[in-house]
Amino acid sequence: MPDISTLAILSIALPWAGAVLIWLVRDRQPQLQHALAVVFALAGAAAALAMIPLRSEVNVLDFPLGSAFGQVTFLPDGLAVFLAVVATTIGCLAVVFSVDYMKGEKQLGRYYAYVLFFIGSMVGLVLSSNLLLIFVFWEITALCSYALISFYNDDPKAVAAGIKALIITQVGGIGLLAGALFLYAYQGNYDVPTFLAGADRLPPNVLALMAFGFLVAAAAKSAQFPFQTWLPDAMEAPTPVSALIHAATMVNAGVYLLARFYPAFEAVPNWKLAVVSIGAVTALMAAVMALVSNDLKRVLAYSTVSQLGYMVYAIGAGGIFASQFHLLSHAVFKALLFLSAGAVIHAVHTRDMREMGGLGKQMPLVKVVMIIGGLALAGIPVLNGFWSKELVLEAGHEGGPLWAWLFMLVGAGLTALYTLRFLSMVFYGEPRSGQHVHDAGPAMKVALVPLALGTLTTWLLAGSFGHFLGKALPEGHDVESTGALLLQIVTAPTTFVALAVVALGLAAWWQRARLAGLAHSLRGIGTMASNSFGFEAINRAVVSVTEASAESLRTTHNGVLNWNVMAILVGLVVVLVILALGGA
Amino acid sequence: MFDLLIVAAMLGCAFQAVRGTRLLIAALWLAGASALTAIMMFRLGAPEVAVIELSVGAGLVTVLFVFAINIAGEEPPVTLRSLVPAPLAWIVALCAVGLGAAMALPNLRVESSLVQADKFATVVWEHRSLDILLQVVLIVGGVLAVLGLLAGGRADARKESQ
Amino acid sequence: MMSLSLPLMAAVAVLGLLGIGLLGLLVTRNLIKVVVGMQILVKGALLALLLAGRLSGQVQTGQTLALTVIVADTIVSVVALALAVQVRRQFGTLDLQALSTLRR
Repeated sequence: MPDISTLAILSIALPWAGAVLIWLVRDRQPQLQHALAVVFALAGAAAALAMIPLRSEVNVLDFPLGSAFGQVTFLPDGLAVFLAVVATTIGCLAVVFSVDYMKGEKQLGRYYAYVLFFIGSMVGLVLSSNLLLIFVFWEITALCSYALISFYNDDPKAVAAGIKALIITQVGGIGLLAGALFLYAYQGNYDVPTFLAGADRLPPNVLALMAFGFLVAAAAKSAQFPFQTWLPDAMEAPTPVSALIHAATMVNAGVYLLARFYPAFEAVPNWKLAVVSIGAVTALMAAVMALVSNDLKRVLAYSTVSQLGYMVYAIGAGGIFASQFHLLSHAVFKALLFLSAGAVIHAVHTRDMREMGGLGKQMPLVKVVMIIGGLALAGIPVLNGFWSKELVLEAGHEGGPLWAWLFMLVGAGLTALYTLRFLSMVFYGEPRSGQHVHDAGPAMKVALVPLALGTLTTWLLAGSFGHFLGKALPEGHDVESTGALLLQIVTAPTTFVALAVVALGLAAWWQRARLAGLAHSLRGIGTMASNSFGFEAINRAVVSVTEASAESLRTTHNGVLNWNVMAILVGLVVVLVILALGGA
Repeated sequence: MFDLLIVAAMLGCAFQAVRGTRLLIAALWLAGASALTAIMMFRLGAPEVAVIELSVGAGLVTVLFVFAINIAGEEPPVTLRSLVPAPLAWIVALCAVGLGAAMALPNLRVESSLVQADKFATVVWEHRSLDILLQVVLIVGGVLAVLGLLAGGRADARKESQ
Repeated sequence: MMSLSLPLMAAVAVLGLLGIGLLGLLVTRNLIKVVVGMQILVKGALLALLLAGRLSGQVQTGQTLALTVIVADTIVSVVALALAVQVRRQFGTLDLQALSTLRR
């Protein structure tokens, strides 16, 4: 049995090795590429799963990189191993799904290489305990996300969406890098466990800067307010990529970052309030936008943004366990929803839900699993989404302000409403497109069934999951057994309030004809929502200001050597003056 | 006193090399400055480096300059107005040098207590062997670059003549 | 106390050569004269290295570094001159203003 550090390296290196191999195979042998991708994704998942019993609460592997970069260290504790397992297993299922979905596509090598590269670096991101290394992996995942969003690089929309995602996540990357450099400046190394053990040694203002820098990083990565606009556009990516990167793994990196550093930043004034506010505003706003979109994948993207808002909200309210439990549920049911949406889109060749309908008869399995996923998303009892969402709401009720809790309740109702809306638009009603619809392929079904089973059962793991996270949770967060936890959820009054709101949402869809008048009076909000509440306009304004200033700065680049030397010399004079004044 | 004369002559040569309009003359002034630099190096206690500077800096490079100027051809000696206004250039250069002088000169410690016992050759071959490797790589790279440039030029010239 | 001593003169030479070299780079419009200016700058750097070696008591280290700089500088000059020759052949001029293609 290999030891934990070997496994940690393997779970990063195996997918990366697969990426290189697939790239070397070239695109002449697509069958070999499919096979290699599945094999290496499976091997990575096996390595990550083998880490479960061996997890450690201290750093493993000490590989010096010189004084400037510190040691390469991994901290495979419960939180890290949990996310590594999520990344590799869902990555593995997405790769299996891709065997059918990407059949016959050109440039498979590029596709699989980036997917596997992503899986490896996501594992590296969660396992590393060197903050600089975390930043490096963070940026690699952003790069893979960009490359895969723009996979269909002859489509200008896809390229624009990729660049948008890259730039917005870079803004967050700056926050993370600044935090890492602050840590190095005041602690002398990048070691995360040392930092978490004694965060109060840092000056309070520096700690606050780090805390809000990380919050910006997390908001950009997890598509939270005000950076949420990139995720819906990212739906130009192939659907398995959307399921893997933009629903189940990479967007969770922000939530992971907040959860990991929660013990250090908890005491920073207003930080928790800021986290709660961002989560609540995002969850509600994205739910409204999901209600008015007609593009199946965009609905799911908005819903992802909204559910990530729930996780961020839970962290701000102090419910780390609730947040991570919801992360687990969401990763499973959202990957299921995306993959089944992929099967639907692959069958009808459109993403517009107005052209779907009545698809239930042609693809019965997809219909069943997608309804399971949808009900979990809506928070219907006994599915995993119900338990984790109730846990989030309960944590928020205890630890967060009342207005935010009300936001989340309304959000839960809206979630039920938009879930029913897209399910019925896709599977019920009259078939609206006359074209021939073929059922999902065998590899697709192989990927969908385990996720559906997971959606039905992962809530049974609640107690052992809490035990598993162990010391990664802050003090006083002891989690009881599954039974006690479930009993606590069932008996909590908030559960019934939330269930009532969800039922209200369902009823609103049922009685939508009678509510037409109300819907009409709310049309203004709908229009605003389909214009993404003006955030696109803000984005455009930022872009045009940047371009205008770049254009006006061009005069300084006249390409004449003398003036360039002049600029260098003036810079030298300025530095000398500063030195002279500082020395005096 | 001797040092003062050398430095004055060196700076004069350098200034003439920069100021002159004819390239050939500038190259010759540069050779003069280089030779005087070599003497200064000798005075600073580095005879080996001084010899190399004299042969390479004053010799080889000057030859190359003359060679290049011959091939490229002298520009017509009309004085083009400089792109950066001359007074501005003077002010900025003087500022930089003046600031440097104001910061460096008062801190100049004259005495040198520790003197390395090793010989120059020992230090070069044994302690700085990485530098030697680097130099070899540089020389090979430079020769290849020049060969490539000149060969490309000949090919283009042939194309033009056809 | 240190009037006209050798280190002082060397320091003056360093500063003077650097200043003249920079001035040359600022005012010249000829590509070959740019190389001349660079040569003068490097001579100042060489003297500075030797001086620093002497002041810090590591004479030989300063000298070996100076040796490396001489090699690197010679290579740079040779390649730059070859480039200048090619530029003259291809564009018919050595004037920096005429050669600049980055225009608005």
